[in-house]
Amino acid sequence: MDLEDDTTVLTTLKSFNSFISCPERPQRLSDNSAASGVLQSQYTRRMELLEAAERVQYKSRYAQMDQERKQMELSHKRARFELEKAASDHARNLEHEVDRNQELLGRIRKLEERETELSKNLSEQIEANNALRKSLGSLNKKLDERDTRLNTANQSVNSLNDEIRELKQKIQIQDSSISAQKLENQEVQEQLDLQRRKYQEVSELCQSLQAAQSSCSEHIIKIKELERRLALQEQDFAIVKTVKSEAAKVPDLEKELKRLRDANSLLRESRENCSLLKEEVEGLRKKLERTEKTKEELVNMELEKERLNEKLQAWENLGQSTGLNIRKPEDLSREVIHIQQREIALKEQNYTLSSRVRSVERAQAELSAELSQQCSKTLEEQKKREAQEALVRRLQKRVLLLTKERDGMRAILESYDSELAPGEYSPQLSKRLREAEDILQKTQNHNVEMEGQLTKAQEETGTLKLQLQTVELELETLKKQQASASDSVSSVTKEEVSILRQKIEDLEAERQRLEEQNNILEMRLERHNLQGDYDPVKTRILHFRMNPTAVAKQQRQQEVEALAEEVTRLRELVRSLQEGGALSHSHNDSNMHSSSLGLTLPPSREVLDLRKQMESSELRNQRLKEVFQKKIQEFRTVCYVLTGYQIDITTENQYRLTSVYAEHMDDSLLFKKGSGGSMQLMETEFSKTLGEVVALHLHHQKSIPAFLSAVTLDLFSRQTTI
Amino acid sequence: MTSTLKGITLKGSAELVAEFFSFGINSILYQRGIYPPETFTRVTHYDMSLQLTTDPKLKTYLTNVVAQLKEWLFECTVQKLVLVITCLETNEVLERWQFDIECDKTAKESSAPREKSIKTIQDEIRSVIRQITATVTFLPLLETPCAFDLLVYTDKDLEVPDKWEESGPQIIDQSEEVRLRSFTTSIHKVNSMVAYKRTDSV
Repeated sequence: MDLEDDTTVLTTLKSFNSFISCPERPQRLSDNSAASGVLQSQYTRRMELLEAAERVQYKSRYAQMDQERKQMELSHKRARFELEKAASDHARNLEHEVDRNQELLGRIRKLEERETELSKNLSEQIEANNALRKSLGSLNKKLDERDTRLNTANQSVNSLNDEIRELKQKIQIQDSSISAQKLENQEVQEQLDLQRRKYQEVSELCQSLQAAQSSCSEHIIKIKELERRLALQEQDFAIVKTVKSEAAKVPDLEKELKRLRDANSLLRESRENCSLLKEEVEGLRKKLERTEKTKEELVNMELEKERLNEKLQAWENLGQSTGLNIRKPEDLSREVIHIQQREIALKEQNYTLSSRVRSVERAQAELSAELSQQCSKTLEEQKKREAQEALVRRLQKRVLLLTKERDGMRAILESYDSELAPGEYSPQLSKRLREAEDILQKTQNHNVEMEGQLTKAQEETGTLKLQLQTVELELETLKKQQASASDSVSSVTKEEVSILRQKIEDLEAERQRLEEQNNILEMRLERHNLQGDYDPVKTRILHFRMNPTAVAKQQRQQEVEALAEEVTRLRELVRSLQEGGALSHSHNDSNMHSSSLGLTLPPSREVLDLRKQMESSELRNQRLKEVFQKKIQEFRTVCYVLTGYQIDITTENQYRLTSVYAEHMDDSLLFKKGSGGSMQLMETEFSKTLGEVVALHLHHQKSIPAFLSAVTLDLFSRQTTI
Repeated sequence: MTSTLKGITLKGSAELVAEFFSFGINSILYQRGIYPPETFTRVTHYDMSLQLTTDPKLKTYLTNVVAQLKEWLFECTVQKLVLVITCLETNEVLERWQFDIECDKTAKESSAPREKSIKTIQDEIRSVIRQITATVTFLPLLETPCAFDLLVYTDKDLEVPDKWEESGPQIIDQSEEVRLRSFTTSIHKVNSMVAYKRTDSV
């Protein structure tokens, strides 16, 4: 409706506008003013038309709106349908999501469990890691230690290298000096050559001179030779003679030889006997030593026996002197037991006496206690009596006061009586008087009572005094009794008591001593206790088996074992390296350096190379040896074949020659190489048979090869002739 | 602990003493440097700050020993607890911390609580632990690696439990002894002292 209202306003506005927009026409129309009514109608009609048009317009618009609304509703329905569909889809999705969510939650839970497990594992791993780290640390420490050792070894190697270098330098210096000396030597030799040349010249001159002399002297020599031959012949003659005589002596000599051989064998036997005897002597000496020892022991034993005898004598003397029949230890022990028994009996007596004394003392104590009790009782009684007396005194005072008061009152009354007329106040006065008299009566009564009490108290005190006296009497009697008892006791055992008292004093002294000792011992015990000692009877000490000390000790042990193992391993390594190093030492310095560097390391490549070299060199050596052997053999056979002699070296500087044509295997010649390279023939069985050849070739011609070839020819001829 | 604050029972006393041993041993180990100081953590007890170990092996060992000790304290069969410090290189005993325990065995029969407040007992314990801390000033320095062991002196008729075994007293040759303070729960009395090897350096 509002909308319509608005539209009406709008339409009126439109119409108004349209009316205003065409003012000219109304002006023109206004010209014909008559037409104003027409205009009015026209206007109304127009307005109606306009309104109709607008209505139609509205209707169409309404229809349009209606359609739109329907469409909207349709679309709305569709949309709702779609939305519902979508909602159901969403719900389904939601369910899916929820399922998935649960699955995921399950998975999360599993993952969490796994995570916890993993964390546990992680912690374990961390612990293990820590342990490994610790061990790594310890290993690093060990490594460091080894490094330091290595460094020291290197340093020592360096120092050794330096020394080697110095030594080399020295060697070089010496080489240079040697070369210098060689040069000097050469110079000297040159000089020597010069001298020799001069000498030759001189000798040539000499020779020319000697040639002249020799021609002169030859003759003389010839003469001399002839003379010498003559002499020789004579000598030979003499020799032959002597030889003959010697030949005659030979059988004697042989006999003597036999005799000597016999003597020799005899001596040998005697030597063996001698050694046997020596052994025997040795045995006997040992025996002697033993016997000496036993002798010493015997002496000691005798000494001991003497001592024991003396002791025994002393014991016997003691037995005799004491008059006891002590001959044996049993007797002594019996005596001791006897004495002990006596002592025990005495002790028992002592105990009984002391107990008696104690009982008496106890009785005395009881009596004294009773006495003190009685005394206290009497004191109490006295106190009571004093109190009663004081009470009596007070009461007497009071009585006095009351009498005084009464007298005063009476005086007052009398004064009243005298002053006042007797008739006026008589009733009053008589009343007062009566009252006063009553009071007096009362006081008197009281007084009487008090006196009665006093007498009672006095009576009580009297009875108490009586009691006191009786008690005192009793006490006295008791004292007398006690005295008599003590007298009786003392009279009976006065001596015993004195003895016992002394004994008690002794015992007291001993007790004090023992107490002191006890204190000392307690202090010691305390100290021991402080140091941790304990009584094994009452106490036992326990500790946890896997305590930290034991664990630490075990660890230490293991560590030590591991280190020892490592040390042995390293030692072996070092040894092997040193063997390798000794070989490499001859090669060069650098090799040695490297070998010492690798002391603790496994064998390096260089060392392996060196070993290979060593092996190859050894192999070469071996081969060379074999070749030499072969060559020597060949040389020997060639010599044997060519010269006809096999040459063997029996000992140092002795050569044995065996001919190819020897008749026996043992036929051989023995040569000895003397100083200066000269060879000398030694005597053998074979050489004895070659007297002529020896004389000819060796004595006259002085030629060993000729001698040998002569022997060869001789042997060969003998063989071929056969 | 006991239900009432005023009195103390045998059980409560045993627990108090065992707790004292736990803290005392920890502080000795810390003060004497048997275990490195970084393996200890600071806790507040008895109104004072104390060091407790975090080393797991040591922890399990101590809990084992203290639990057994508590049992024995409850049975009144323990006489001494000794902490022995041994040099690992020479196997020589260098220090002995001895705690003599005097048990009032009558407390076993009568279950009536004694009249002593926990606060006064804890004050006494605190002074003992303070003294243990102060002993470092006169004890000789431990220069070599050392390990410790706990010995328990018990009555002879006691049955040896599993994991325990008999041991020697581990007495120090030529020792100096110093008595420390003592405390009592009126059921257990603990006298403490330390013995250490005399050094010839002076």
